[in-house]
Amino acid sequence: MGTPPPAAGGEIHRILFHGRGGSLFGIHIVNVLLTLVTLGVYYFWGKTRVRAYLWGQTEIAGDRLAYHGSGRELFIGFLKAMAFFAFPLFLLSLLRDFTTWELLKWLSFVLSYVIVSVFFPLAIVGARRYRLSRTSWRGIRLSFRGSAREFVKLFIVNTILVSITLGLWYPLFDVRRHAFLTSESWFGNRKFGFDGASSGLFGSFLLTVILTPFTLGLCWFWYIAKKRRYFWDHTTFGAARFRYTATGGAVLRLMLGNLIILIFTLGLGWPWAQVRSARFVARYLTVVGPLDLESIQQDARAASATGEGLAGLLDAGGLDLG
Amino acid sequence: MRTDWDGHYLDGRTPVRRPARVRLTRAGLEISPEGGATAFWPYAEIRQTQGWHAGQAVRLEHGPDPAEAVVIADPAFLADLREIAQAPGLRFHDPRRRRRRVLYTGVAAGAIIAICAVLYLWGIPAAARIVAERVPVSWEEELGRAAVESLVKPEKQCREPAGQRALDALVATLVAPAPPSPYTFRVQVVDSKVVNAFAAPGGYMVVLRGLLDEARRPEEVAGVLAHEIEHVLQRHSTKALVQHVSTGLLITALTGDVTGAMAYGLESARVLGQLSYSRAAEAEADTKGMGLLVAAGLDPAGMIDFFEALERKERDSSGLLKYLSSHPGTADRVTRLRRLAAAAPAARRPALEPAEWTALRAICKGAGGAP
Repeated sequence: MGTPPPAAGGEIHRILFHGRGGSLFGIHIVNVLLTLVTLGVYYFWGKTRVRAYLWGQTEIAGDRLAYHGSGRELFIGFLKAMAFFAFPLFLLSLLRDFTTWELLKWLSFVLSYVIVSVFFPLAIVGARRYRLSRTSWRGIRLSFRGSAREFVKLFIVNTILVSITLGLWYPLFDVRRHAFLTSESWFGNRKFGFDGASSGLFGSFLLTVILTPFTLGLCWFWYIAKKRRYFWDHTTFGAARFRYTATGGAVLRLMLGNLIILIFTLGLGWPWAQVRSARFVARYLTVVGPLDLESIQQDARAASATGEGLAGLLDAGGLDLG
Repeated sequence: MRTDWDGHYLDGRTPVRRPARVRLTRAGLEISPEGGATAFWPYAEIRQTQGWHAGQAVRLEHGPDPAEAVVIADPAFLADLREIAQAPGLRFHDPRRRRRRVLYTGVAAGAIIAICAVLYLWGIPAAARIVAERVPVSWEEELGRAAVESLVKPEKQCREPAGQRALDALVATLVAPAPPSPYTFRVQVVDSKVVNAFAAPGGYMVVLRGLLDEARRPEEVAGVLAHEIEHVLQRHSTKALVQHVSTGLLITALTGDVTGAMAYGLESARVLGQLSYSRAAEAEADTKGMGLLVAAGLDPAGMIDFFEALERKERDSSGLLKYLSSHPGTADRVTRLRRLAAAAPAARRPALEPAEWTALRAICKGAGGAP
């Protein structure tokens, strides 16, 4: 895989993030208070307020993103996730502890395993579907239209391949997963595309593994940067293409800085760490080429918040543009 | 006061942005997009979705999703809207209130610091006490047995019978004067040169051979055992479990969503937060352990001597460091214990007879530790 061909036309569309740590702290601290007072229930409404702020401060080609989700949706999604995954798993673990019948024990073990292995892919797809469907730019909604069944299949098959190959398959899994999630994403009636090759990260991955003992593992920051560049540089939108230019050193500085902020504030500095991350994406990510917006139409799809609740359960929430 | 404002209009069907004139009237907005017909939006049907923060344009939406919208960059628009609009129950943001919002934020921050401090200083210790009191002893025993089994390999266990008898006798001497407890105490010596001892829940205690080598007389071992027995009686491990979970919840509530590498930072913060709890537990085990020694008629100076010997060797980079890392502040604890011991009556008996002490020190010299 060489470098992707330059997009036609020289237009460069910048992404700007206008958010400030202080403003986000103001939102966050009130959320914390209400979450403590309501014994955690307000968490979902707080999360929605934070997202509305982050989205609303992100500007692409002169217009801000808008977030249309609600706390109620997230809360219901969380309850559904508990009912369909956490509660059955809890019942099965009780069954294992209290039955003396070996067959039943074995059966409950297998069933728990199945539930857990479909849980992760469903959570990833669900969260993406919900978040994109609640995001708009210039009044046009995004959407994710991939089939959850296909993704579960991809996820399980590749997980098995990773374990058979002792991890060597991982970079291929990573690209395939990302390709599926990207190429099934839409803005209005226009699809995003991904033209990376499955094996595109394999060389870098192998080199990173080999260098790990000699660099005390620091080379993984360069791998993370390489991976993000590969993912974005192969993402297209019509005739336009994304371009991401962050280096390993920049990723290292970002992550180390955030770590230090969080440790020394006992976590209270989270808003500043979040703003640093968003600014980082905005600094290094651009869209190159004509957007050709005249040919795009609104085409919204419904989405439920169950997957979103699952992601919350796994602590995988947040603005994950990177 | 201005009635006409420049903005742009999004029709909700295409991503094309059209310049528009927005006119404020008493009952609603008149929206005139460039090259389109003028539309009237009554105030009651308009939702403000952006423009609460400095530097953010005002965004007003109208109609069912996907809605049409106008975006007005100048935040002064909202102030004039409030002046002109006559409709009751307006839900638009008032920029003049931002100053008051800063005040509320300050108050909220203060309240949170107060709530967290109260929870940390009183709430979590109280919860740990209440939960620990209600955990059945049989659960603790199960947990303790599993912990000792997974930590101590069978071939490392020292089982010389005479030594074990001496050790059990010493534990019995220490426990005898204490109020009756539901625990059965079991001590296991492990063949390791590390100077350490620990208590698992449910009465299981482990002494490493290095500690027996380091001790110069049985009263020093008695001092360490009394300390470990109090860890069991005060249910410190069970409380530590509850504290671990609760501090985790508190930190999660404070930080919202944290992904990837940030989670490691939080874990460190949690460990920092828990250190003071573990120091309090050590101090309690010291004080009450000394009470056990005195009640059993043993010389409490043995405990102090042992800790002092540890303190003298603190700078040595030997196995001692391991002992100290979980028991911080040796100098302070020696001073405190010395004050307590000064008030104690003279010892009535030795902790072990010389023959027993010799047997205990030889507990690992048996038939290779095999049962």
